[in-house]
Amino acid sequence: MDQNSAQKIESDLDVILSMIDELQEVDTSKIEPMFSPIEQTAIVYDDVISSDNLKEDFLTQAPNSDNNFFKVPKVVE
Amino acid sequence: MLANKEITPSELTEESISLAKRYASLNCFNVINEEAAIAQSRNLSFDSNNLLSCIPIAHKDLFCIKDLETTCSSKILEGYKPPYTATVVKNLENAGCITIAKTNMDEFAMGSSNETSYFGNVHNPWLKNHVPGGSSGGAAASVASGIVPLATGTDTGGSIRQPAALCNLTGLKPTYGRISRWGMIAFASSLDQAGPIAHTAKDCAIALDAMTGHDSKDSTSLHLGKTTTLETLEKHTSLTLGIVKEFNGQLSAEMELAFQKSIMTYQSLGYKIKEITLPNIKYSVPTYYVIAPAECSSNLSRFDGVRFGFRSKNIQNLEDLYVKSRSEGFGNEVKRRILIGTYVLSAGYYDAYYKKAQQVRRLIAEDFNSAFKECDLILTPTSPGTTFAFDSKGSKDPTELYLEDLFTIAANLAGIPAISVPQAFVNNLPSGHQLIGPHLSESAILQTAHHFQLNSDWHLKSPSMESFL
Amino acid sequence: MTWEAVIGLEAHVQLSTKTKLFSRASTSFGADPNTNVNLVDCGLPGVLPTVNREAFYKAIRFGLAIDATINQTSHFDRKNYFYPDLPKGYQITQMERPIVLGGFVEINVDGIKKIINITRAHLEEDAGKSIHDADPNNSLIDLNRAGTPLLEIVSEPEISSAKEAVAYMKALHQLITFLDVSDGNMSQGSMRCDANVSIRKAGSQELGTRTEIKNINSFRFIEKAINFEIKRQIRVLESGDKIIQETRLYDSVKDETRPMRTKEFANDYRYFPEPDLLPIVISNEEIEEIKNNFPELPKHKKIRYLNDLQLSENDAEILSSTKSLSVIFEELLNTGNNAVLAARWLVGDVSALLNKDQIEIEESKLDAKLISELLKNIENNTISGKIAKEVLEECYQTGASPNSVIESKGLKQITNTNELQSILQDIVNANPEQVNQFKSGKDKLFGYFVGQAMKATQGKGNPELINKILRELLAK
Repeated sequence: MDQNSAQKIESDLDVILSMIDELQEVDTSKIEPMFSPIEQTAIVYDDVISSDNLKEDFLTQAPNSDNNFFKVPKVVE
Repeated sequence: MLANKEITPSELTEESISLAKRYASLNCFNVINEEAAIAQSRNLSFDSNNLLSCIPIAHKDLFCIKDLETTCSSKILEGYKPPYTATVVKNLENAGCITIAKTNMDEFAMGSSNETSYFGNVHNPWLKNHVPGGSSGGAAASVASGIVPLATGTDTGGSIRQPAALCNLTGLKPTYGRISRWGMIAFASSLDQAGPIAHTAKDCAIALDAMTGHDSKDSTSLHLGKTTTLETLEKHTSLTLGIVKEFNGQLSAEMELAFQKSIMTYQSLGYKIKEITLPNIKYSVPTYYVIAPAECSSNLSRFDGVRFGFRSKNIQNLEDLYVKSRSEGFGNEVKRRILIGTYVLSAGYYDAYYKKAQQVRRLIAEDFNSAFKECDLILTPTSPGTTFAFDSKGSKDPTELYLEDLFTIAANLAGIPAISVPQAFVNNLPSGHQLIGPHLSESAILQTAHHFQLNSDWHLKSPSMESFL
Repeated sequence: MTWEAVIGLEAHVQLSTKTKLFSRASTSFGADPNTNVNLVDCGLPGVLPTVNREAFYKAIRFGLAIDATINQTSHFDRKNYFYPDLPKGYQITQMERPIVLGGFVEINVDGIKKIINITRAHLEEDAGKSIHDADPNNSLIDLNRAGTPLLEIVSEPEISSAKEAVAYMKALHQLITFLDVSDGNMSQGSMRCDANVSIRKAGSQELGTRTEIKNINSFRFIEKAINFEIKRQIRVLESGDKIIQETRLYDSVKDETRPMRTKEFANDYRYFPEPDLLPIVISNEEIEEIKNNFPELPKHKKIRYLNDLQLSENDAEILSSTKSLSVIFEELLNTGNNAVLAARWLVGDVSALLNKDQIEIEESKLDAKLISELLKNIENNTISGKIAKEVLEECYQTGASPNSVIESKGLKQITNTNELQSILQDIVNANPEQVNQFKSGKDKLFGYFVGQAMKATQGKGNPELINKILRELLAK
């Protein structure tokens, strides 16, 4: 990111963050967070294989791949 | 009326496509599905019992359609063709719809004006060089201009309702979980919902009934069957409509006038009007702008140039792969939101921001629960103003555009359904009012909107498309 | 200066479910690259996770076996970081409310028993595999493993030596195999271990800076890696330096640990609850059902083997603690083989063959049917024990059935008294000097005659009959 864009984003972020800071006014001391608007619980599924082999579809649209693998620049561990 | 007797399916599709080309300057489509649509229209036989049979439809370009380019209006997905189709698209296809095109949108659904698309702005058919609203701006423009009678949009903070209001359309965001999110590229997982954009409440009802229903591939899909809102559309009861005390004084005089006209129309139809309070509603915008960026910063991590999508050309190592591909591939609004999202989730800030916002969210949802004990539906304006010129908002202060969603955001936070309905024009430009209902009250909402439309004609007006020829 | 080591272990156990944790793609081992990958595992835009019930049941079985608390309501969180084999850019794991909390495992090192407490065990999805040495310019990514269910078992830092660490991992291994939670095949990556190691002055209550050694995949390497690391840390501290908190890898070729060179692209994982999944609730009925269908644990098996079947302590111990052997043993019991005989052969000759090739019985040509047939031939005296060893070796190499080997090689015992009588008479007649020596008191020579008899019958003479007849002949 160049200097100008970086500065602009920084000042944008400052503005956004000060808007968000309004939330600190609210008393939420006894409130449970609401991570999802749905109050039901999960349906769980049987351990039965039901999948198509989409290997060709996946690999042909990858930016860099061969017939078997996705390729990324070398990772040195 | 969606049923056609004087025209064949293929003629209808061809007409739609030719309109799309004629109005290309609207820039409401990212890709036109010409060959496949025409082929499909020739093969389908019209079923007069099915109101969606052979109807041309446009889908927002974040719904995956197998082998058709799906880009979310972003460079990072330019040319991407999914190997599968979204459930909601399949549902509409099974109901007889023919996919004409993918609609332009704000990049990754982030925006309220369709000015952040990698493929350029969408025009409002009512006024050139003005915004159609966002993020489903292309969808709204495609219906308002008459190219298609129906389009799918998504609504995370108002992205169906606000464009509908700015384009004189009816747009519905259903209860969270009504419509499957499988194949709908995620922006904010706990807020996103798909919905129809059409001219009338009746058309929305027809579409909604086809789009809904439990999908086992989506764990957040409600365990319910399809809605049957069309069946009960003509039932009208004298409901009580709540007016939100805290929204008083937010509008300009002319917008207030238009809104008051809607209130009077409802009154004349026998609806009771009552003032209600949503004490925490003013925190809905900051709450949203913590939760949505947080979830999206994580949802967008998969765009890394490894398995699909854009990969930068000048990468020397793994770090380059991530940094360059994402910097070059994402637009500025997306980057802003990813940065905010990362910040509010980071260690040390999580409690003060993310957790806090989710707590305030619960307060807002509980406010609605209390309010719905006093009234049946809540009536508000949809958006603070009518359309505005390109580049007139947000360049100095990014939060300016965020305030477009002032009236719509709370419904997403609470997961409750809401609709925007065309009302009196302001300065010759469209405006809309919003009906919000409790969980699963789509039938009541659509009945009420339909009742309004039987007794008004705003929704029948169409723009002159001269400036786009 | 005496130092003591403080070690905590994180075991990553691949669950033996047929499908992945959040998708119904197969988890089969050894598939061609990128063929056990579906839309969800590839992390394509628009996909969503759905939960595998069996993974929860296996985790709960483990929790019950270690006397842990089962969190009947648990949920998933996202752990965000970038790495090419992590398709979504986040891992779905359980941070805040894991399925299993607490519990303990008993270990036995050099006769001393010790309890190691378990902090927690949670479910999470595995990442794919990166191959760094196949292509000079690129790393290759195979997503087959992406999405496989893992149970991450975290111990309290109560382990004090490499030996204890190995004992602890072996105890875990035994539990997970016997409970059918995992196949525990470490060479295939079914169980991996991260070791957190620190040292402190003996008797001190403070914890030293720890390092994490990641992804150790054999008991031998666990012991070596930890021993190396302890020695290294002592060296560092004794020379006045400080221990750097870092992640290290164990290099088995050089037998040393070294720091990992890639920094993970986020030290802060920005955990937050997974919004695409709802909380999972396990009912009391489901827990009861799991309890009622609990497989027999090693300690209970051993008691049964000792008391009901009268096996020797050694045989009972080995059979009850090695899953693959105990499975075969139970099958042999079902086909009516003699328990003591079966045990002796499994623990003895069969194990010897397997150990020489360092394989498990499932990887060999032997199976319960084959061994049962062999044992029956011994039980009904068709062949002698000595010949049986030959037959077993042949069957092990070729997979042929014992009956066919016995037939084709003519190995049946000679039990015809007359035949033996005449052979032995010939031997006695041919060795008059030895006969005299024996009769005059050299009892040891009896073995010489037995040896001659074995030679003459090519080992097929029935030992008991040979003894009986020889004694009669030599008594004359």
